Amino acid sequence: MMRVVHYINQFYAGLGGEEAAGLSPRLLDGPAGPGRLLDQLLGDEHEVVATVVCGDNHAAGTAGVTEELLGMVREAGAELLLTGPAFGSGRYGMACARLAAAGTTAGLPSLAAMHPDNPGIGEAGTAPVIAAGASARKMRASLQRVAPALAKLAAGQALTEQDGRVGRSARLGRLVEHTAAQRAVELVLRRLAGEDADAVTEIPLGGFDSVEPAAPVEKVGAASVALLTEGALVPAGNPDRLESARATRWLRYSVDGLDTLADGDWESVDGGFATTAANADPNRLVPLDAARALQRDGAVGGLHDELLVTVGNGTSVVTARRFGVEWAARLRAAGVQAAILTAT
Amino acid sequence: MPVPQRIVHEVNAVEFGEATRYRQRRLVVGSDEVAAAFADAALAAVRPHLASPAERVRIVKPLDVVEPRSRGPEGGTFPGWLAPINRSRGGQTHVLRGAAVLAAGYLPRNQEGLVDMSGPAADLSPFSRTHNIVVEFDPAEDASWADVDAAVRRGLLRLAVHLADAAVDAEPDAVEDLAQPHRAVDPTGGLPRVGAITNLQTQGAFKDVFVYGRSMAGSLPTLIDPAEVDDGAVVSGQYGHPALRNPTYVHQNHPVVAALRARDGDDLRFAGLVLCPEPVEQAGKELMSEHAAWLCRAAGFDAVIVTKEGAGNADNDLALKVDALEAAGVPAVPLYPELSGPDGTGPPLVAGPRRGSLVSTGNYDQRVSLPAVERALGGPRLDVADVEATAAVEVPVATILGALSPLGAGRFTCRSTPPQEEPVQEGAA
Amino acid sequence: MERAGIPTAVITNLVTIAEQVGAPRIVLGRGIPYPTGDPDLPPHAERAWRRRLVEQALVALATPVERPTVFEVGAQDVGAQHVGAQPEEATRA
Repeated sequence: MMRVVHYINQFYAGLGGEEAAGLSPRLLDGPAGPGRLLDQLLGDEHEVVATVVCGDNHAAGTAGVTEELLGMVREAGAELLLTGPAFGSGRYGMACARLAAAGTTAGLPSLAAMHPDNPGIGEAGTAPVIAAGASARKMRASLQRVAPALAKLAAGQALTEQDGRVGRSARLGRLVEHTAAQRAVELVLRRLAGEDADAVTEIPLGGFDSVEPAAPVEKVGAASVALLTEGALVPAGNPDRLESARATRWLRYSVDGLDTLADGDWESVDGGFATTAANADPNRLVPLDAARALQRDGAVGGLHDELLVTVGNGTSVVTARRFGVEWAARLRAAGVQAAILTAT
Repeated sequence: MPVPQRIVHEVNAVEFGEATRYRQRRLVVGSDEVAAAFADAALAAVRPHLASPAERVRIVKPLDVVEPRSRGPEGGTFPGWLAPINRSRGGQTHVLRGAAVLAAGYLPRNQEGLVDMSGPAADLSPFSRTHNIVVEFDPAEDASWADVDAAVRRGLLRLAVHLADAAVDAEPDAVEDLAQPHRAVDPTGGLPRVGAITNLQTQGAFKDVFVYGRSMAGSLPTLIDPAEVDDGAVVSGQYGHPALRNPTYVHQNHPVVAALRARDGDDLRFAGLVLCPEPVEQAGKELMSEHAAWLCRAAGFDAVIVTKEGAGNADNDLALKVDALEAAGVPAVPLYPELSGPDGTGPPLVAGPRRGSLVSTGNYDQRVSLPAVERALGGPRLDVADVEATAAVEVPVATILGALSPLGAGRFTCRSTPPQEEPVQEGAA
Repeated sequence: MERAGIPTAVITNLVTIAEQVGAPRIVLGRGIPYPTGDPDLPPHAERAWRRRLVEQALVALATPVERPTVFEVGAQDVGAQHVGAQPEEATRA
C-alpha cells in the first residue's frame, strides 16, 4: 500500500469560493472533497493520507509557492502525488501541472488530472497528465480514470494513451549518425523530390496556436481604438444576465461621453476571480479613465463608443475564437483600427 | 583554374619543445614561438597548455578556436588579417587535421562556456576531439579590452599558420579536392543546384564576425568564394552563447559546404555560398531576408540550406529567410537549435517559419552532468556555475562550446517522445 | 481579432497563457483580479501607473511583431520590450 497525497484548490476543499482564492497553502489530514471518492476508488490498494490545499490566486501568482506545496506533500509522507482534477480551470490547472512537474522532477511519482484543453497543461513538464472532463459534473468519471492510472504509476508502470494520458510530448536529445549539415542535405533532396515540407521536418511546426499578427497601427494618434474585456464588467445589477463562467455570448455597453467608469455604476460578475478591487474601481479592469486622458492629450485618436464584454472564465477556445471573429467584424464595420483587451 | 585542394596532415599527438616541427603525425610546439605569435603591447603574458582527447581536462572560458592552416612560404591564409586580399586564390592549403589552437580566459561579454576532453560533454563539442593548444593570457595593464581581444585574435591566427607551416614539406595523409560552385550557365546533368546561406552574428564588439578582416555588420548579403572561407576569410570574434557559436574553426571546415561538396555531381550541384549579417532590428532582418532570397534566385539556386548564429533573436533571421525563400519558390531548410526547457516540453522555437523542413541541432536547455576533472585551463573557476573549474557540475548543453553547432557540425539532435511513451534519455546527455 | 487584421493589445498578468494561445501583443498587467489597477498604490500613483500601462498598450499596437511579444512598463522607461525567450544580451547559460 502506498501513501497518496492529494492536491486540490480551496473550492474543492470546501474552504470557500472566489473570495477565498487568496488562501495560503495548508495541509489537511486524510482525504477531503473529491479525495473521499478517490480514496474509495483506490480500495485497499492505496490510501489518501493527506490533502494539500491552496487558493487559486495564491497558487497561480505567488513566487516559490510550488516548492512550498511540494514541501508539504513531502511532510505528509507522500509516496504518490495526485493533483486535481482541475477540469477546465486555468489557474487551478496551472497549479496542478506545476506541482506534479515539481514532484516528478524531485523523484516523487506524480500525476495531474485536467481537461486536455486546460491552459495549464503545458506546465506539467514530464509529469503524466490524465484527461478529466471539462467541468466538475464529470468528477466521478474523471476519478474513475485517475484511480487506475494512479495504481499503475504506483506499480512503476508507464502510463499511455489507453490510460487516458494526454499532454505535450517531450523533445529529448540524442546523438545520431550524421551531422546536422548532412541531414539538411537529405531534407533538401527530399523536398526537391516533391515531398511536402511538413512531412520531412525534424521539428514539427504544428501544435502551437500561432496567430498571424496584424500589421501595426500606423498613426495611433489618429486611430480609433476599442476597449474590450473578458472580465465580465457589466452595468450594476447585470441587466443582461451575463454568465459568470463558460460564456455563450458577449455584450456591448456604451461608454460614449464617459470620462471614467464610476464605482457603483459597474460591476464584474466574473466567477473566476475576486472582484472586490475591480468593483471598487472598475478602471482597474477596463482602463477607461487613462484611455480618455490619453485621448485628450492626442496620444490616441479616438475611443470606440462601445465597450465589448464577455467572460473568459472557463470559456472554451472554440467559443472564444467565435467571439473574436464577431468582435472583429463589428469593430471593422465601425471603423475601429485597433483594440485593447483586458484579461484576468 | 585548377581545383583548390586541401593537403591534409593528420595530428595524433602534440607536445611542447624548443622549436616547432611536425613529423609522423606528431606536432611539436615551440614554446618561444607561441610567445612570438602573441607578442603584442596589449598582452602582458601568454601561457600555452595542451589538452588532448580523452584526458581528464576541462577548458573554461574558451574564446575562439582556429585550425592550423598554411599556404606555404608565400603565405595567403587569413586574408584581411595576415594576408592581402589580392593574393593568388585557390591552389593548395596545408591543414593540420586533428589539431586546434584555442584561447581561454576572461573577456567582457564572453558568455562563459566549457570544453571537456572526456566524459559526456566530450560527445557534444567538436573541440573535445582535437588536440588543443590552449593559450591563456594576461592583459597588459593599460590595454583596453578591445585591444586585448584583437591581440588574442591575431595571436591565434599567427600561431595557427606558424604550426601548419611546419607540415608544408611533409608527405600528406590525404589530398582533398574542394568542389567550387557550379556555374549557373553550365549544364547540370539534371541535378538540382543547392546552395547555402550562412548568417553571421553582428552585434558589435565581442559579438561580431569578420569577413576579410572587417565586421559584416551593415553589409548586404553577398556571394563569397567558398575556397576563400576555407582559407580563413571568415574569422569569428563572437563570444555569445557558447553552444550557439560558430568559431573560426567551424567556418574553415564549413559543415554545410562540406556536406554539399560531398554529394556534388552525385545527386546535386553545389551552387554557392551566401554570407549574411544578422541585424539587431526587425527592419534590417527583413531587408536581409528579402535580398538574400533575391540573390539566391539570381544565382540560380534551386534550394538552400540556411544557418544562423546566436539564440532567440537569430531565430527570427532564419524564419524570415525561410519564409522569403519559400515564397519565392525556393525550398529552404534551416538548422535550428531548440529551446524546449530542461525537460524538453516547452515550445522549441522563439520564431519559426510559417512552414518548412527544419533540422534540429539539439536542445539548449537539456542538462548534462559532468564528472570532476584532474586539471582545468582558462581560469580557476567555472563562474557560470559558481564552482571550482575542476568540480563535478551539472550544466545545460548551452554551456558546452559548439554543442548545438548552428552551422551543422554536430550529431546532436532532438526527437519528440509522445506522451504515451515513457521518456527515456538517450545519447550522451 | 489579430487574425482578422485588428491589432489587439492584451493586458494581462497571465503572460504565459497569453503566449500559449498565441496572442501577438501582450502587455504585462499588475494582478489577476485587477489587470489595469493596483489597490496597494495610493490613488494618484495608481492612476499614473495605469496611464503608463495604457501608453504601453498603444506602443504595442504601433509595433510590428512576428510572435507573441511581451511589452512591459519599465521602472523608468516606457518601452521595455522582449520577444519570446530571452533577448540576445541576457545570459541564459
